[in-house]
Amino acid sequence: MVALVTIVLLFLVALCSPAIVGTKPIVCNYKGNLYFPCLGYFNPKWENPIFIKDKFRGVYPRSLKQKDAESWAVWPLVYQDPYRRVKADEWHGVPSSREMLDNPVQNHGKPSAHNFFGTTPYGVDVFAGMVHGTRIAVLVGFVSMGIASFIGITIGALAGYFRGWIDVVLSRLIEVVMCIPTLVLILALISVIAEPTVWHLMAIIGVTSWTSIARLTRAEFLKLREMDYVAAARALGASHVRIIFIHVLRNALAPVLVPISFGVAAAILIESALSFLGFGAPPPNPSWGNLLHLGQDHILGKMWWLVLFPGLGIFLTVLCYNLVGEGLQEATDPRLRQAGK
Amino acid sequence: MTEPLVEIKNLRTHFFTDEGVVKAVEDVSLTIPRGKTLGLVGESGCGKSVTALSIIRLISPPGKIVSGSIAFYDDGRKIELTTLPEAEMRKMRGSRIAMIFQEPMTSLNPVFTVGSQIAEAVRLHHRVSSREAWDRAVEMLHKVRIPDAQRRASEYPHHFSGGMRQRVMIAMALSCNPKLLIADEPSTALDVTIQAQVLDLLRDLQTEFGMSILIITHDLGVIAEMADDVCVMYASKVVEYAPVVELFTNPLHPYTRGLFASRPEPGKPKDQKLRTIPGVVPSPLRFPSGCKFHPRCAYAQERCKKEEPVLRRPNLSQIPPSHVVHCHFAEQIEEQEEAAVKSV
Repeated sequence: MVALVTIVLLFLVALCSPAIVGTKPIVCNYKGNLYFPCLGYFNPKWENPIFIKDKFRGVYPRSLKQKDAESWAVWPLVYQDPYRRVKADEWHGVPSSREMLDNPVQNHGKPSAHNFFGTTPYGVDVFAGMVHGTRIAVLVGFVSMGIASFIGITIGALAGYFRGWIDVVLSRLIEVVMCIPTLVLILALISVIAEPTVWHLMAIIGVTSWTSIARLTRAEFLKLREMDYVAAARALGASHVRIIFIHVLRNALAPVLVPISFGVAAAILIESALSFLGFGAPPPNPSWGNLLHLGQDHILGKMWWLVLFPGLGIFLTVLCYNLVGEGLQEATDPRLRQAGK
Repeated sequence: MTEPLVEIKNLRTHFFTDEGVVKAVEDVSLTIPRGKTLGLVGESGCGKSVTALSIIRLISPPGKIVSGSIAFYDDGRKIELTTLPEAEMRKMRGSRIAMIFQEPMTSLNPVFTVGSQIAEAVRLHHRVSSREAWDRAVEMLHKVRIPDAQRRASEYPHHFSGGMRQRVMIAMALSCNPKLLIADEPSTALDVTIQAQVLDLLRDLQTEFGMSILIITHDLGVIAEMADDVCVMYASKVVEYAPVVELFTNPLHPYTRGLFASRPEPGKPKDQKLRTIPGVVPSPLRFPSGCKFHPRCAYAQERCKKEEPVLRRPNLSQIPPSHVVHCHFAEQIEEQEEAAVKSV
C-alpha cells in the first residue's frame, strides 16, 4: 500500500516536475498574452517561439521584467534548473551555484537551503535533476514494459493456447531471445544508431525483455485452456480470439502482472546502468543514471550527494515496483481478495 | 414418431495418440427427436461424451471425426455439421446447440459476474445493446429460479453454490433459445436433493422452450426421470437403443441387464453384496475381438469372440420395432432369463 502510494507520487512528480522545480514560469502574462513556458521542459517545441525571438536565453525572471514591465508570472515551487546552473542575482536570494563551487572553504556544492541535494561539479542543482529525472524513470519503465508485455503476452498466449507446432516454434523463439545478453545488445545497437535517444533505449529494452512474461503467460494458458469455462465459452460460440483475450487472459493477468512489475523495475535499473556507463539518455537530459555517472569519480570522495540521492531514488523506486507487483496480484484476483476478507 | 432434430449416422471419432489410434466412437447412429429427450448411458470412457462433443464439434486434436454424418434439421433446412465451416459452426454453437457440463464449479469464469457471462452469450449471437443483454441475463436467471436475480446477476461465481452455478450454466446455455441442449452429466457433481431440483428445472424449461435434450449420464435414475429414448453405449458402440419404458421393462443386451442388476434396491438384506459386472472396461487401444463385451459377458459363446454383432431388431414377439440390440444371442438370453424367473 505504501509502495503504491509512492509510485503514484512518483507519477505525479514526473507529471508536475516543471511546476515543482524549474526556472520557467508555469503561467506568465507577456505582452498581453498568456504563455505556459514550463511545458518546454517536456518538449522544447512546446515552448512559445516568442521567447526565443525576444532572446530570453532561458532566463525568465529578468527578461520578463526588462521587456515587459506589465508582465506577471506564476513560478515553480523551487527555482532551480536541471539543465544549467543558476546565475547570481537571477532570483531573489538564490546565490549562483558557481560561486559556491569556486569557494571550497564555504560550500563546495554541498547540500544547502538553496540546493537541497547539492550540485553537480558544473553547478547544476541535483534536486532539480532528480525531480526532472523521474520523467525518464517512469517513461522507461512504462514504455519498455508496454512493448515487452504486448509481445510477451501475445506470444505466450498463442503458444499456450494452441499448443502443437505453434508452441514448439514460439518456445524455441523465447529460448533464443533469452540467450541474448540484453546489456551487450543495447551497447552494440547504440553504437550503430547515429543519434541514440532515450526512446531507442526503451524500444531495445522492450524487445529483449519479454521472455519471462511470455513464459509465464504460456504456463498460465496451458493450465487455463483446460478449464471447463473455456469449453463452455466455445460451446456458446465464442471465437478463439475472444476466448484468448477475454476469458483466459483475464484469468492469467494476475500472475502475469508480477513479472511485468518486476520488469519495470529491471528496465529502470538497466537505464540507470546504461546512463552510468555513459550510454543512456544523452547527457543534457536529466536522468538519475546521468547524475550517478557524474558521481562515479566521487563515490568515496567529497561529492557523496551525487551518489547517495540518485542511488536512493533508484533503490526506492525499484523496491516499490517489486512490492506493488505483489499487491497487484492480490488486488486483481477476486479469489485472493475473498480469502483476505 | 416425431420428426428428428439431429440424425447421426455411422459416426466415427478417433483420437490419434502416440500410443495408437483410440477409436472413441465407432459407428454410432442415433436420432434426437424434436422436443424430446434422448438419454445416453454408459460407463466412463465408453464414448458418450465424445459423441456429444462431436455433435457440437468441440473435438480438439489429436481427436478427429473420421467419417459419418451428423444432420441437424433447422427450420426445414438440413445442415450437415461434420462438414460445416468453422465460422458457420461457431454461429450454430450457443444459438442452435448449447451444452452444459458436469462440473458447475469450474464451468463459470471466476473473474466475471454471472450476469455479464450470460449477457456475453446473448451478445455473441444477437445484435443487442449491453443493457438489453443484461436484462435478458436477469430474465434468464429468473427463469432458472434464482431468487433475487436482479441482485445476484452482479455477483461472481464464487458467491454461488454448486446447484446455483449449474442453474446459471443452464441459464447461459438457454439464453439464445437453442434447439438442442447437450447436458453432459448435469447432475453428477450435485447433492441428491439439488440433483432432483436441477432435473425438474431442465424438464420444465424443456416444456417452456420446446428444445430437445441430449442427456449424458451413468445414472439410470436420471434416465428414468428425464429420457424419452435411451441409448446404451459400451466400448465406443451403441449396444442397445430403445424407448425408456421399453428398456426398463425389457433390457435385452447382457450389459444393460448387468447395469439394471447392479442397482441397489431397498429391502435387500444389507450383507448381500451388490451384483457387479465382472471385469473392467477394455482399453480403447486394445479392444477385444468380436463382440467387445464378450470377456465380461456371462452368456458369451465361441461366436462372440470371432464375430462382431450388428445392431438389429431382436426376433421376439413382445419387443416393439423401435428397440434394437447389439447382440448375437439376445433371443436365447431372453428365453433363458424368462425360464429362470418362472422356475423361481
